[in-house]
Amino acid sequence: MASVEVRNLSRSFGTFKALDDVSISFEDGGFYALLGPSGSGKTTLLRLIAGFGYPDQGHIAIGGESVERVPLEKRNIGMVFQSYALFPNMNVFDNIAFGLDVRGVPREDAAREVRRALELVQLSELETRRPHQLSGGQRQRVALARAIVINPRVLLLDEPLGALDKALRLDMQVELKRIQREVGITTIFVTHDQEEALTMSDRIGILRAGQLVEEGAPEDIYRRPKTRFAATFLGEANIFEGIWTDGRLRLADGTLLETAPGAGRGATGEPGCCLIRPEQVRIAGENDGGTGNRLEGRITRRLFAGNWTTVFVDYQGKTIRVGQANTDFLKLEDGSKVTLAFSGSNTIPLQS
Amino acid sequence: MSPLTRLLEVVGRLFVGLLLAFLYLPIVIMGLMSFNASPFYMLPIEWSTTWYVQLAGNAQLVDASLYSLKIALATALIATTLGTAASLALFRYEFKGKKILQALLLPPIAIPWLITGTAMLVFFFGVGIGRGLHALILGHVALALPYVIIVNNARLKTFAPELEEAARSLGANQWQVTRRVTLPWIAPSVVAGALFAFAVSFDQFVVSYFLATPGQTTLPVEIYAAIRKGFTPEINAVSTIIIVLSMALMLFTARFYKFGGND
Amino acid sequence: MNGNSTLAAHRSQGMKAAQLLFPAYLWLVLAVFLPLSAMVFFSFVTEMPFTGKPWSMTVANYAAFFTTGIYAKLLLSSLRLAFEVTFWCVVLGFPAAYVLAKVLKGRSREAIFLLVILPFWSNGLVRVFSWAMVLRSGGILDTLLNAVLPFKVDIDLIYSYPAVIIGLVHSYVPYIVLTCYLSLQAIDDSVIEAARSLGASRFTVLRRLIIPLSLPGIVAGAVLVFVPVIGSFMEPRILGGRTGTFYGTVIEDQFVAVFNWPLGAALSFILLAVVLFILAAASPVMRRSA
Repeated sequence: MASVEVRNLSRSFGTFKALDDVSISFEDGGFYALLGPSGSGKTTLLRLIAGFGYPDQGHIAIGGESVERVPLEKRNIGMVFQSYALFPNMNVFDNIAFGLDVRGVPREDAAREVRRALELVQLSELETRRPHQLSGGQRQRVALARAIVINPRVLLLDEPLGALDKALRLDMQVELKRIQREVGITTIFVTHDQEEALTMSDRIGILRAGQLVEEGAPEDIYRRPKTRFAATFLGEANIFEGIWTDGRLRLADGTLLETAPGAGRGATGEPGCCLIRPEQVRIAGENDGGTGNRLEGRITRRLFAGNWTTVFVDYQGKTIRVGQANTDFLKLEDGSKVTLAFSGSNTIPLQS
Repeated sequence: MSPLTRLLEVVGRLFVGLLLAFLYLPIVIMGLMSFNASPFYMLPIEWSTTWYVQLAGNAQLVDASLYSLKIALATALIATTLGTAASLALFRYEFKGKKILQALLLPPIAIPWLITGTAMLVFFFGVGIGRGLHALILGHVALALPYVIIVNNARLKTFAPELEEAARSLGANQWQVTRRVTLPWIAPSVVAGALFAFAVSFDQFVVSYFLATPGQTTLPVEIYAAIRKGFTPEINAVSTIIIVLSMALMLFTARFYKFGGND
Repeated sequence: MNGNSTLAAHRSQGMKAAQLLFPAYLWLVLAVFLPLSAMVFFSFVTEMPFTGKPWSMTVANYAAFFTTGIYAKLLLSSLRLAFEVTFWCVVLGFPAAYVLAKVLKGRSREAIFLLVILPFWSNGLVRVFSWAMVLRSGGILDTLLNAVLPFKVDIDLIYSYPAVIIGLVHSYVPYIVLTCYLSLQAIDDSVIEAARSLGASRFTVLRRLIIPLSLPGIVAGAVLVFVPVIGSFMEPRILGGRTGTFYGTVIEDQFVAVFNWPLGAALSFILLAVVLFILAAASPVMRRSA
């Protein structure tokens, strides 16, 4: 188990810059998600840490040891592939034993280790099955057991749940988290699914076009993102654009929005934007006064999703989403005028 | 289904039946006649195995058979080893000129063996390699190599490269990856390639015809000489054996390697 | 570190690949490509070098082809033979491939497909020989037919042009079935059904859809038949007898009977040029399938 340090890492494929000067540190025992759209460089970063190819520039250290020129098979990392990459010619036991075998671990010791890994992933009764006889979730567990049985310094997961259906995915999220805690291994996993990143990880790194845009704890990034990209990529977002005026944002119609203090605030006269999450917006009665930001709009559409209702409100030609676990919304009619209220402390200034 | 459609389908099946008859009739007749005691193929057939007995006593044909077998085994071994190594490289690595290397596999298959055979004869003679066993093996392996590589490449197309990556991430070196992950996957095509190589060599007439020394020839060359001298029932017998064996070999290959498909 | 590392990684990939590729390709160069190039050289000499006889460079071997007319005429008759054989192979092979791909299903398709291509992997010489026995006068075919028919027939096709055609078609028709089957199988049945539902007749579907879509397969198969047939010499010898003199047999003669290797090399090289021309001409159509 070890920490991972990445410094100024760059990698190009032809003229395409897959990674552009990325620095990030992963602490020992943490669970990290690398999140981003496809082509953002998250998989490239993971593969460079694993040792599939070498960086053009920059340094990678695992447990303080510089590894950027160490070949993959000598890095002692555990990797789980999106396709699981289970060896089709071996049964579950032999798949898991493979890494111990090639290290020359004696058969009996290996068997013990394998059994323990099987127990950990709760597959003990399936050790003689072949990969094609397993369900998607079971394959995933075998891939995980195979990766951790070699006692790697770091566990790398490339979209590990991407091939599973939704219900199974939720189960596996819990399962994966449990196993990671039990083993206590530094884990880095790549995903394009923001919900997965939020629920599972201790820290999230958001990548875009080869650059690390933002990094931090899930709750912080969700509640107080620093950048417009992170705000819109992670969760639903209402973004207001305007001109900064003494820490407040002046919208096109002249309305001034109170905002929370933050680095996103620009100097007076600068253009800028800020975020308000749909669940922080409230629909106020005509006369229930109060402080904070207030906007008048007209309901255009309501979307009922069981435990949640989203109302789309038109404000000066811009659609604002209001979301609440409140079915009273359903009584409102399309076209009716409403006042939207939200506090300044939840209105987050963003760097674009 | 309309009556017309049904009629057309019946006609179609009949057509395929006739084609099969065309393909197998002469072979079946040859087989039957090899058991006919009459050297003039008189009917009705007078059943007998006399030609097979005589064949066993024909030292020249038996010698030629063993010689062919030896060459075919050597060809299969060498072509499979070299060809499998080459197909792994073509699968694994990206490098300049890969397309050209793949295109270079076609000439040995596409150019008529008459041209390749005479070119080999002239060149081997010119550089002092001459004719005989080594020249035959040299030539046969070259003809068989493209088949081995092409068959392996087709199988490798179904192989997920992540499997090699996964094995390496678990600490396996290149040789361990190849032996324990890649080769087991392409085993069917390696076996099929070896069988193809064997067949290309064992059935090879044209190139052998030019490269064999007159004293020691392969079975097909010996058969050709015998046919040109006149029909003999012994040739019937040996031909029947060859065709039954080579078809059995190919049926076996087909079981191993479902021509392009995979289970 | 620096931008060269990618290049270095690329180069080391190339090195690893080279180790695996070298033996196979060295073999191919030694046994196929050098001989083919050497043949060009030997086609320009008067006598084979290294035999002790004096030799010099000459174009006489090629002059012989263009001035005497006999070789050119034989090449033409080989081309005609190749056309006829290819024609019959397509006529027999394409419908069979169609039935295999679109009418037969499941196991019977698999079994019959295997039966069709099986002979093609068995010994070609022996198969030609088996026809010699069937076609000769007083052979099986006569005897059988005379036993059934009320009148006397005398089938004596052996040592004739039709016998050569029959033998070659028998040898090469599996190629056409194979390539046509592969391209016909790739045609989605729903495309045909869609055309039928739009009111196209069977003939229109065949002409406007099936044949154009399977053309790469037909052309590939035709080339695979045409090319070896121009260079055939064993089949004409066995089945054609006296009438079986073609371009291939003349080349064979130069090497095994007349021992004029330089002339043989020149004739082989001219044949190679023809073959390469045909392959080049057909490759645009064939590439569409790949």
